[in-house]
Amino acid sequence: MVSATVPRAAAGFPRLRQVWRYRELLRGLVVRNLKVKYQRSLLGFVWTLVNPLLTVSILVVVFSHVVRIQVPHYWAFLLSGYFVWNFMLQTLTTGTWIFSEHSRLTRSVAFPSEILVFSAAGSRLIEFLSEISLILLALILLHHHGVPPSYALVPVLIALQVVLAVGLALPIATLSVFYYDMYHALPIALTSLFYLSPVFYPASMVPESLRTLYFLNPIAGLLTLYHEVLYAGRWPAPTLLLGTCAATALVWVLGYAIFHRYAASFAEIV
Amino acid sequence: MPPASPKLSDPAPRVELQGVSKRFYFYEHRTSSLREWFIRRVLRRPIHVRRAAFSLRGVNLRVEPGEAVALLGHNGSGKSTVLRLVAGIYQPTAGTIRTSGRITAVIELGAGFHPELTGAENIRLYGAVLGLTRRELAEHYEDIVEFAGMGDSLDTPLKYYSSGMEARLAFSVAVCLQPAILLLDEVLAVGDAEFRARCLARLCEFREQGGTLLLVSHELEQVRALCTRGIWLRDGRVIMDADIDTVLAAYRAAGVPEPA
Repeated sequence: MVSATVPRAAAGFPRLRQVWRYRELLRGLVVRNLKVKYQRSLLGFVWTLVNPLLTVSILVVVFSHVVRIQVPHYWAFLLSGYFVWNFMLQTLTTGTWIFSEHSRLTRSVAFPSEILVFSAAGSRLIEFLSEISLILLALILLHHHGVPPSYALVPVLIALQVVLAVGLALPIATLSVFYYDMYHALPIALTSLFYLSPVFYPASMVPESLRTLYFLNPIAGLLTLYHEVLYAGRWPAPTLLLGTCAATALVWVLGYAIFHRYAASFAEIV
Repeated sequence: MPPASPKLSDPAPRVELQGVSKRFYFYEHRTSSLREWFIRRVLRRPIHVRRAAFSLRGVNLRVEPGEAVALLGHNGSGKSTVLRLVAGIYQPTAGTIRTSGRITAVIELGAGFHPELTGAENIRLYGAVLGLTRRELAEHYEDIVEFAGMGDSLDTPLKYYSSGMEARLAFSVAVCLQPAILLLDEVLAVGDAEFRARCLARLCEFREQGGTLLLVSHELEQVRALCTRGIWLRDGRVIMDADIDTVLAAYRAAGVPEPA
């Protein structure tokens, strides 16, 4: 007798194998998210660029003319990290509400529900890939006047970014199924994180004595990697790269474990 | 007619429940904010005030290929819980559930449908929700479209559909996917008379080809036409398990009002 083909998988690899079986659903949801977002909008993807570009312009004016942050070519510095931050912000925000948004689905179909969180990250990733191509092009043409060899690391950074975003979104989304506080707490947490991460200033400005504490935030490591690779155009310190990889892996494992612990009861609660 | 009671020697039942119980909590007070959680912690008051109630108690059930089983009983007797447990949406509190083959559960029609997508796009998405790969869906796609019988409107966004058409589309997907086990929760009464007749014919065909059907319905005449076996649930326990005519007769004799 074959045991149930429905998701009763254990944590870890069996669980991921389940997800793989449902890859068509992941693809379908990503396509749906994008289609619903962009249909009937003439300018489509342009709108996705307008908002962050406006913020970037304001930050450039403020931090190079008012509060003068001593970073040469500040615009290039800001571009190399801001969109990454934006990806984290939006994936965490949409990922958090994804279970209650799909409550009908969760209540009436047995499927590995982490797919919903993956799909939030997936559709955001497609947008990010278009954004980062434009940014790379701008930096190559206007900042480096050539292609720095460190750009070979960009795919690795993007992979880290996605794993980190999903690893953070899974436990937050799990918590929000049980406690609606997340609705209030998440915007506050994300605002704090914006100031506590090197988005508009370089991590090197953080006092030496606080830096260990500062880098406990895995997003700080990720953004610094982007600054090194995209803006400075140099290979990052191995400790920074390996440290961020390890932190990301830890976030993923812990986040997935928390999600897995409670996922079976979502259908009774959402 | 297939045997009304399961043959215990059969090596491969499609669905097997052994001593399955499901406990739910009915919350009189459910703490859903961390502030309140904290206050209740400090004041040493209970976090949740809840009453445990069994939706199912010690249910044993064996369903073979080619059987169509109707679950009968009042609202709240545990019928839908059985379907959700078999589908794997709920986990049992006690006991074991074993199934073999692909399961398609239609608990809510059109869960996973999106109003902005066209009918055709929704068919694909719903197929993916039910766990089909792209190739598997492609095999059944023509059949679904033909069965739904909606032709041109498949390129129209779902939000312009009438609720009847939407239900019809969802039902067509579920029925045409040819799973090993099909679970239907009060979704038989869909569409016009002609469509219902076709559904019934399709489901009979499904059963005759060895499919296993578990359904909850209050349309007793439809149940009689379709099912081979009836299970009567009351307060989470099986009180009768026999061929459909016997169970329906007893169920009616017990004074269960029928829908008009």
